[in-house]
Amino acid sequence: MTLDPRTKMVIVICLSTLALIYNSAGELLPLLLVTLLLLLLFRIDISSVWVYLKRFLQLMLVVFIIQCIFTRGGEVLLSLGSTALVSSQGLLAGASLVLRIIVIISAALIFTTFSSRDFILGLVQWKIPYELAFMVTIAMRFLPLFRDEFVNVVTAIQLRGVELKQVSWGRKIDLFRSLLFPVVFGALLKAQQLAVAMESRGFRAYPRRTYLRRLDFIWIDYAVMLIFITITLMLIISY
Amino acid sequence: MEAVIVEDLSYRYWPEGPLVLKNMNFRMARGEMLVITGLSGCGKSTLCYCLSGIAGHRRDGVMQGQILLDGKDIQKLRAASLALEVGIVFQDPDSQLFSPSVEDEIAFGPENLCLPPGDIRARVDEVLDLLGISSLIEANPYHLSGGEKHLVALAAVLALDPPLLILDEVMSQLDQQAVQRVADVLKRLKDAGKTIIAVEHRLETVTFADHLMVLERGALARWGPIEPMTADREFLAAQHLID
Amino acid sequence: MHFLTLTQVNFHYPKLSRMALENINLEIEQKSITAIIGPNGSGKTTLGKVMIGILQATGGKVLLQGEPVSEMSLAQIGRRIGYVFQNPDLQLFCATVAEEIGFGLVNQGWEPARVKEKVDFCLEFFQLAEYRHVFPLLLSQGEKQRVAIASVLVAENEFVILDEPTIGLDAYRKKILAGYLRKIASIGRGMVLISHDMGFVEHLADRVIQLEKGRIVGDSERKGRNGYDT
Repeated sequence: MTLDPRTKMVIVICLSTLALIYNSAGELLPLLLVTLLLLLLFRIDISSVWVYLKRFLQLMLVVFIIQCIFTRGGEVLLSLGSTALVSSQGLLAGASLVLRIIVIISAALIFTTFSSRDFILGLVQWKIPYELAFMVTIAMRFLPLFRDEFVNVVTAIQLRGVELKQVSWGRKIDLFRSLLFPVVFGALLKAQQLAVAMESRGFRAYPRRTYLRRLDFIWIDYAVMLIFITITLMLIISY
Repeated sequence: MEAVIVEDLSYRYWPEGPLVLKNMNFRMARGEMLVITGLSGCGKSTLCYCLSGIAGHRRDGVMQGQILLDGKDIQKLRAASLALEVGIVFQDPDSQLFSPSVEDEIAFGPENLCLPPGDIRARVDEVLDLLGISSLIEANPYHLSGGEKHLVALAAVLALDPPLLILDEVMSQLDQQAVQRVADVLKRLKDAGKTIIAVEHRLETVTFADHLMVLERGALARWGPIEPMTADREFLAAQHLID
Repeated sequence: MHFLTLTQVNFHYPKLSRMALENINLEIEQKSITAIIGPNGSGKTTLGKVMIGILQATGGKVLLQGEPVSEMSLAQIGRRIGYVFQNPDLQLFCATVAEEIGFGLVNQGWEPARVKEKVDFCLEFFQLAEYRHVFPLLLSQGEKQRVAIASVLVAENEFVILDEPTIGLDAYRKKILAGYLRKIASIGRGMVLISHDMGFVEHLADRVIQLEKGRIVGDSERKGRNGYDT
């Protein structure tokens, strides 16, 4: 199914809104199923969900444990002496929070089916100023740039013979503190170069610009969007 | 009217900083090509920044003197409208590519100039073909090799079709075949009336140029017709420009 | 035993259909200068990165002195093989040029006095002394390249891989670099030069490996002064 990127954006927003509103595993589980079904419809490899989830595994584990311990009520499942450590309520709360994260990450995968350029096009055709649309995508590009910068530096450090895994924590903090300034400054320099490169190719020369491609918002997009918004609103109101 | 007039140009990166360019004067007619050479750190890239108007728009930089392109004072032009007068390919290809595909990268400039989609399509296809990189059209510039990135950056600037082209060591990462191709393209552009300024270490690749400028610590060490100067091996050796 | 052994090595980047490296079989000796040449996009840089495990081969084996590179940490490899990246921006991370050059030595526990001595020598040799206290990323491209090269060569690894070391260098600095490389080769330190600069490679290499579209299409040992023999 080829939908307009704007339709896909609306779908992602609907799914994540519901994920944020729903609180129990009983509601989140069906939502996850719907999300996965949509991914299949968009021809996204379901196994790639796992690839993305892996990066958040530690975070999810920490969140899960915190929820388990700090939510009280229900049956006590695990206790340390007389203090209850894990309750049935806590376990459920932890599980639903993890489910919520999984739904949001899976829904966000829909973004991978179109390029940032189509995203800009969609926004501009909805009369959003192009400077703003570009700013959003450049910002989205910048997070990976910071990450790349960090990965490059860590690789370069290790290649100069420093075994980061064996360095003591004090030394490690010292090392990273001394790197903070050059890395941040380096990334800022690159941002500046990027702005210069864009401007030197005529960016913002005129109040408007043209586009090589255009997106066609057809009836199926209107239909799909309407259905998703209506269902989401109904679910929220009846909740 | 002359295409490029540089008068008493001096530049420092911050108000009390050292002079990176010292009192430079030269002129170029339309359709001429100038090659700039000199040891690294002598101010070649800074001169490119000045001529393209970027240096003049830097917050801390102090530019003295005047640069006229086609009679227009570049310091009085708005940063973005400079793209109509001059196109620059930077030395580091990574810092000038930002689009998700080669096609988008090249279309970016013509789109900014508000060309109709049909014309943009034609320009994109033309420059891809000209530089022999049509097969890369779908590729993500980020994943290309160093030399390919430079070709894409050059294509993106050529698509703007500016009257003055500034190329900062564009050929340094290219293989022999690509160097020959780019040289042929430059020759053709020059014949079509484009003014070209190129920084280059390997002078044998650009013998078809008109002028050669040798920079030494930010000052003009020599300026003149390229042929007698490349023939003067003694001078080039004294400047450490050849073995 | 060979210093580096690559058997049936393949590599492809995720999301790209074309193989970046295909069926590479290669043995490299420690005491030699090996050049890897080939047109733009032929896989030279990818091959270099696979050799030291920055990229893990998607098929086949890479052995460093008989040990699989995939089971070694980057630091273990880095202590044996110095690596100069093609783009100096990616490997400079210190606040000054002097710190950059001394970084590896300091972190491998050298005495401050010896670090200073080595750093001073390198600053002088690569004509960077006047930039001692400058932030490396503010230098010109050619100067950054020299800082990157100096900060790797200073560690005196038994082997180095240099990816396009001549980019941004003028003829004079190229000659200085060639002289230095020849000198360290003569005392038994080997290297791989990845380059498209035939003029530079010709005078240095004992062996030239030619890549095209991710495959080895030529491998010649140098014979005498004026040519290669397959």
